[in-house]
Amino acid sequence: MRRIYFVLDEPICFFTAVFDAYKDTDALITSSKRFQTAIGDEFIQVHADEEKARRVLKKLKDIDFRAFREIDSILRSNSEDKEQVAFEYLKLVIRYGKSAREKLSLAPVRKMQDITSRVSFEIHRLHGFLRFQELEDGTLYAPFDSDNDVLDLLMPHFIRRYKNCPFVLHDVKRKTATIYNGADWILVPVENAEIRISKREEYTQSLWKKYYTTVAIPMRKNTRQMKRYMPVRYWKFMLEKDDETD
Amino acid sequence: MIDERRLEILTNGAKYDVSCSSSGSRRKNTTDGIGNASFGGICHSFTQDGRCISLLKILMSNDCVFDCKYCPNRRSADVERTTITPREICELTMDFYRRNYIEGLFLSSAVFQNPNYTMELLLETVRLLRVEYKFNGYIHLKGIPHADPILTEKAGKLADRMSYNVELPAEESLKLLAPQKTKASIFKPMQELAIKKQELALERKTRTGYAERKGTGKFLPAGQTTQMIVGASPETDGQILRLTEFMYRKYDLKRVYYSAYLPVVQDPLLPSEKTGLLREHRLYQADWLMRFYGFTSDEISPLGENLPMEYDPKCAWALRNMDRFPVEVNTAPVEELLRVPGIGAKGAYKIVTARKHTALTFDDLKKMRIVLKRAKHFITAKGKFYGERKEDNVKFCLAIAERTDQVEQLSLFDRFSTPIPTPEIRLLESPKDKEFWLRSTPQIANSVLTGQL
Repeated sequence: MRRIYFVLDEPICFFTAVFDAYKDTDALITSSKRFQTAIGDEFIQVHADEEKARRVLKKLKDIDFRAFREIDSILRSNSEDKEQVAFEYLKLVIRYGKSAREKLSLAPVRKMQDITSRVSFEIHRLHGFLRFQELEDGTLYAPFDSDNDVLDLLMPHFIRRYKNCPFVLHDVKRKTATIYNGADWILVPVENAEIRISKREEYTQSLWKKYYTTVAIPMRKNTRQMKRYMPVRYWKFMLEKDDETD
Repeated sequence: MIDERRLEILTNGAKYDVSCSSSGSRRKNTTDGIGNASFGGICHSFTQDGRCISLLKILMSNDCVFDCKYCPNRRSADVERTTITPREICELTMDFYRRNYIEGLFLSSAVFQNPNYTMELLLETVRLLRVEYKFNGYIHLKGIPHADPILTEKAGKLADRMSYNVELPAEESLKLLAPQKTKASIFKPMQELAIKKQELALERKTRTGYAERKGTGKFLPAGQTTQMIVGASPETDGQILRLTEFMYRKYDLKRVYYSAYLPVVQDPLLPSEKTGLLREHRLYQADWLMRFYGFTSDEISPLGENLPMEYDPKCAWALRNMDRFPVEVNTAPVEELLRVPGIGAKGAYKIVTARKHTALTFDDLKKMRIVLKRAKHFITAKGKFYGERKEDNVKFCLAIAERTDQVEQLSLFDRFSTPIPTPEIRLLESPKDKEFWLRSTPQIANSVLTGQL
């Protein structure tokens, strides 16, 4: 008989469920509302318990800190069965230790690699595709919309890069933003942002658009390839693609 | 500030340069500075032709005293001429960089008045950016042939990467199509820069401690590159690959770019047809084989021949060496796995990692997403063989495999695929390979695996 552990989409709740479900032979953890149940399933609603989560986390970090990072990355993804993948991989880590990730012939390990590489690829893409606008007070503001919840993971890169200018990253889909003042940063919930761009901003944007269209080689037009490298879902906030559909 | 018209002219002059990469440098931000370099490189946008925009690629001036036949900015061409000042370039770079449009600057120029004057202007721009604007992002500077070595050396201390374009792969073609350039004017500065970089690296080794070492190491951290036009002159792929190999070994180049000839300029000495992208693609495949798979140019192609179009150079090599196959995936050393058609650096790495834990079957390979379309004719797994036995049948299957994914492949060669979160990997370690692999570091091998180099 399967036991289904329903969790909220947050790490503490997931790790609590791991604590509860670890000894079960046939357990499944999910936060998905579209989950397909079967006859005979037993349901358990998990309530976050900090102590239980802390113990699981401690165990995991003691065995292999990198595995903790991998699990964190899985839980940030938009994959429907992420909790289950994370759970199965975590069990393997506890069983085999550090070498678990090398066992590519096991399905949970391959799934873990797929998901974590999707998440880190999106981070890499956003490092390039984010567009900042200069506001009247000189702050840089970049709205974006990502598949996976990676807002705070973008911060180290941009802080290294723009360490002396204040900036704001705004995850429009999850309605959160990070604000950096030139020294520290915080994560805040944001509903709508009202912005006023600086005078220079508009002119720079027009120069960029000019550059973007000029630098292409018309004899080599290949829109399909462009879309493969820069999927259309990212275009919304990329000003050079503002007024184009292909 | 620069206006749109001048930006358009100077971008148009620079856009045929293939190099767009911003990889290979680890330059860090300074306390009061802006920017840093990313070792793997970052693409910020992609143009309609599917190429990545990583750097602001622009000319300082398109007003050239040289008269190279293939160049749209040559002396005798009737085009609008313009020049921008170092400060204007700095302003534009900073404005774009702050908004995360670009990774840095790719600055090139027509030879304006004379080579030294041009080089001085380029140097002044880079100096302004680094010193006054405190810019620590990526700078790729094009070297001007015939300029004073002192200027070139100074530029090397400030830029991340420099390049002298060979353009034409043989001296006779150079004489015919680019009369003011000579072989020496391109290779000499390349060599000087390579020697200088080596010297500084050696000197750095003799020093110890942070304070003493400070400021010694930074000399072209991302090395040098070059570019050749393919198809404008009669040289064969065999010749081009030998020249490429020579430059990798001798001048320690990081990369050689190939650009299939486009008839931008009409001239009786130039072909009127454009060169196929497939030829360019094959050259890149061969280049990869030399840099990361331990092949030599002799193995890849005979001197007077072009690479075959029906299948890739690795398949062609394997077909000539059928006696070496099949190899057993569970026991073959990694350098042999790398020589199996269809198994790339990533695949070889996956196999070597996974076989430590269990003997792999074809089913396992499939699940690990090793593409077996080509490889199955050249490997056994746990002693089993599923490929064709007759050579003619293998050839046929390879050609079919090629046709089915040609469209896909054409776009795959020098951009990134999904990065895999693996730490540093060293693939080739046998002493025989080390000779050529001295330049390669685990980081480079890793960025090959992620496809970002």
